[in-house]
Amino acid sequence: MTLSRRKFLAVGTSAAAAAAAGLTGCGSRSSLGASNELSMWTWVGSVNDDLIAQAEKAIPGYDGMKLAMTRIGTNYKTKVLTALAGKSLVPDIVAINDDVATYFPNADQFHDLFELGAKDLEKDFLPWKWKLGITPENKMMAYPMDTGPTALFYRSDVFTKAGIDIDPAAVAGLAPDWDAYIALGKKLKQAVPGSAITDNIQGVYDYRMAQQPKRYMTSDGQYIGDQDHVRQSFDLAVRVVKEGLSANAQNSTDKNAVVTNGKLVAYNAAVWWAQLGPKNAAPKTKGLWRVTAAPGGAGNRGGSFLGITKYCKNPEAAFAFISWLESAKNQAQAFLDPVLFPSTPATYTDPTLTAPDPFFGGQQIVDVFAESAKKYPGAYFSPYDSIIGTPIGKELVNIEASGKDPDQAWADAQRQIERELTRAGAI
Amino acid sequence: MPSESAVTSKAVPAQEVTATTAADKPPNRFRQALPQYAAVSPFFILFAIFGAFPVLFSIWISFHSWDGIGNMTWVGLEQYNYLLSDATFWKTIGNTLIIWVLSTVPMLLLALVIANALHNATRFRTFYRIAYFIPNVTSVVAITLVFGSIFSNNFGLLNAFLQSIGLGQVEWLTQPWGIKIAIATIITWRWVGYNAIIYLAGLQAISADVYEAAKVDGASSRQTFWRITVPMMRPVILFTAVTSTIGGLQIFTESRVLFGDTNNIGGPGDAGLTIVSYLYQSAFINNQFGYGAAIGWALFVLIVLFSIINWRLIGGNDDERLTRRAARRVERRIAAQNAKRAAAQSAAAKETADVR
Repeated sequence: MTLSRRKFLAVGTSAAAAAAAGLTGCGSRSSLGASNELSMWTWVGSVNDDLIAQAEKAIPGYDGMKLAMTRIGTNYKTKVLTALAGKSLVPDIVAINDDVATYFPNADQFHDLFELGAKDLEKDFLPWKWKLGITPENKMMAYPMDTGPTALFYRSDVFTKAGIDIDPAAVAGLAPDWDAYIALGKKLKQAVPGSAITDNIQGVYDYRMAQQPKRYMTSDGQYIGDQDHVRQSFDLAVRVVKEGLSANAQNSTDKNAVVTNGKLVAYNAAVWWAQLGPKNAAPKTKGLWRVTAAPGGAGNRGGSFLGITKYCKNPEAAFAFISWLESAKNQAQAFLDPVLFPSTPATYTDPTLTAPDPFFGGQQIVDVFAESAKKYPGAYFSPYDSIIGTPIGKELVNIEASGKDPDQAWADAQRQIERELTRAGAI
Repeated sequence: MPSESAVTSKAVPAQEVTATTAADKPPNRFRQALPQYAAVSPFFILFAIFGAFPVLFSIWISFHSWDGIGNMTWVGLEQYNYLLSDATFWKTIGNTLIIWVLSTVPMLLLALVIANALHNATRFRTFYRIAYFIPNVTSVVAITLVFGSIFSNNFGLLNAFLQSIGLGQVEWLTQPWGIKIAIATIITWRWVGYNAIIYLAGLQAISADVYEAAKVDGASSRQTFWRITVPMMRPVILFTAVTSTIGGLQIFTESRVLFGDTNNIGGPGDAGLTIVSYLYQSAFINNQFGYGAAIGWALFVLIVLFSIINWRLIGGNDDERLTRRAARRVERRIAAQNAKRAAAQSAAAKETADVR
């Protein structure tokens, strides 16, 4: 058959039209994927691949549906928002980061998980974590995934050099609060010049805030970001820098560098830092690190959630899937790979977690973090927390990087926050 | 415009032909031209969807407050009002212009020198040309990551070098000027080869006769470069200056990758925050799409402003400028002569007066 130009054009046009119809069409169905598939979006490294592979064959406990998973490499949140704004081809299930509260004003885009039977599973989870996914209108918008309890990481070799007992209980006793921790830092710096106890000024501020029972707003919308608990965290961070105990590492390359070159000898950080910091950046320090209770008490930073969008083609199946994926047993598997710290206390005694970690000199580090996760008081995160936190963080960097006057920096941050909150209509 | 009139003038006789052969009905001009319209339509359809619609929609968004999912709230000119009183926005304009100057000036000078060297190279010419062009086709993200390690405060190659020759460590990526210099260096490195190739093309277009004449007149190589090469290359240099201006106002990726791990993509003290990265931060990190759109339109105004400046600088074609300049020179000379003559006359008149 010879292909005339006319025929070629006709075939091409009809093919393009069919493709366009396929993309936009099917009218009623606005969720992504085939009718027996639940589509799910997450960022890379947020779920256990074996469990996902299992659900991609068939969703356990729910016949006839299977999972279709997409791992989004970059700009995850932008892509989710774009899909939601487009109101078509929206994934059935989306992973949500610790900024879950920023979605609260648009909670109508998600299914209320209470209506799908979430209430019965509440007892399995850390109470504060459970609450983070619930809107002020008492609608459960997001289901808990992992958490980020905080603790003190320290280099046992440097502590030995400074003549400090490296036993975790002893270190915890030496530095029960931040004042004692700063004194300890000074001693370390004397023994090993150049030692730092935080990567930068924000490290102190963020992790101090992560220990507080309140943050920037009350649940009824009052701004409290200018009150003492914030100012004290701010001043503490400034103090650590003025004492010369910060490594002044402002970007990821430098943050890795200060772990690799051994400048950072102690760091109060969340559990995921074990992987991100020492294990990735300084594999040679294997066996030298230890973990103990953080100065200033239990805290949490980070952790993620799962939401079922209102476009979901089968909410019951989706709920069956997420409650299976985040069950205590399966969270233990997610701890092994990709090292997500469970939000289900029952998992903390699972043998896969309690195994000694050779990187930490054979210490059972899970005990330390489990303790922190259970003791953390929890705090209310408002939809505006990120627009409040950003100016404060920027001004802290100005203090450390260019020596800005702390009082001026605080005043500038508060002025900027007021401008931003007024524009957002929050105050 | 001229092509359009050409099409209609051609279409008219064709229409007459069909009108006589077809039935008594008067032909529909639109239907006649339908195949032609259909043939050019794919571009216009795609342009309308991916070009015109987003542009117009962004005007619409800039009058609203919108977080990307919920309802859009009409706020009128409030976003623009906020923009004008936003210190960060003015700072980004300053940053962008400083980075632009820091990158464009050394880049174009270096490109001219390289082009001259490439022009005179006798061996491995193709190799050198490719070598200089490769940075331009390399992923800017990869380049930035490498430069990030070079400029890194704690672990950078540059600091290691500075320390090895006895100079102190410079905190490149935390100090305002260090950040700007780092970004400008990345841009320079990436685009110097591209501009050099353009200059090379310009150099090759200059007739060898001119150089021969210069040689006969005994001009040194430096004189040849400044007196012949640079003036003859003026149109090419202006072209590269204009494209670098447009590119320079849209610097984004470098600071995005250098400081991309935080929510603050401008780096410490916002020293590396350019207009486009501020737009990105507002719209896609803070989810203030209305404000992002307003910044986009402010950038548009700024680019129009710079285009007008460029236009004034280039203004008219070369011949006109040369004749204008020559005319001015002649005028000046005549004026000078007149003045001299007048002075001589008055002096003479004075003399005669004194004599009297």
